[in-house]
Amino acid sequence: MNKKPNLKFKLRLGFIVFGALMVIEIAEYVLGTRMKTGNWPYLGLLAIIGAWPILQYFMHIFDLRRHKE
Amino acid sequence: MEVKEESHREDRLSINRLGLWLFILSDGFLFIALLTTRFYIQGVQRPPELNQPLGLVISIVLLLSSLCAYRGETAAAFGDIKRFRRNILFTIGLGCLFLAGVAIEWTEGFRFFPPSTSYGMVFFTLTGFHAFHVLTGILALVIVLLPGQQKRLQAGNHWGVEAMVKYWHFVDVAWVFIFPTLYLVS
Repeated sequence: MNKKPNLKFKLRLGFIVFGALMVIEIAEYVLGTRMKTGNWPYLGLLAIIGAWPILQYFMHIFDLRRHKE
Repeated sequence: MEVKEESHREDRLSINRLGLWLFILSDGFLFIALLTTRFYIQGVQRPPELNQPLGLVISIVLLLSSLCAYRGETAAAFGDIKRFRRNILFTIGLGCLFLAGVAIEWTEGFRFFPPSTSYGMVFFTLTGFHAFHVLTGILALVIVLLPGQQKRLQAGNHWGVEAMVKYWHFVDVAWVFIFPTLYLVS
């Protein structure tokens, strides 16, 4: 019965995650092209921050820990 | 009886998920080894001829494909077959576009840093290994679109879709690390 709004919410969540990933990717690009030396720690950090939402929201990594009720 | 059956189905799903995550983890270690090779062989240097804007464009294409895959999986979980089909088809199309971008990169790469150079060796191994994953992901998504799978979806079993889409997202996660490592680090 209440599945429709839930579906809409989940689809919207996908766009939010995608938006965040785009911002991170562009930030990486700007950092990589403007900062000529010593950018690797920042890029590594941004890559980890970028991977996190994919793992959590797209791959549902925490489903593994969820126990049956 | 019905409760027991449902419980058995949930157990099986949990085991399937764990197995898939173990596979993803083992594949992830392979990517970590290859990414480490880049720093071991080449340090943080990169050739100036590298096409960074194209790298960004194909990254965005892959991220967009991940969004479509997520929407497809969500639609499948809610039994919306039409939306599921449309989004998985978009994902496959974007995956093919990504491969076309990699092919352009390779054409330029062969000219400026062939596989005989140290950077070329790392570049072609990493992008080739990743492109192979994208290709297998596309094949997996095509399988998901077959009529047999859709019958399962209509019966409420969307594990096949979930597994293939998770694999697709894994390929995306791998690229999130490959892009800065190959194109941006200096």
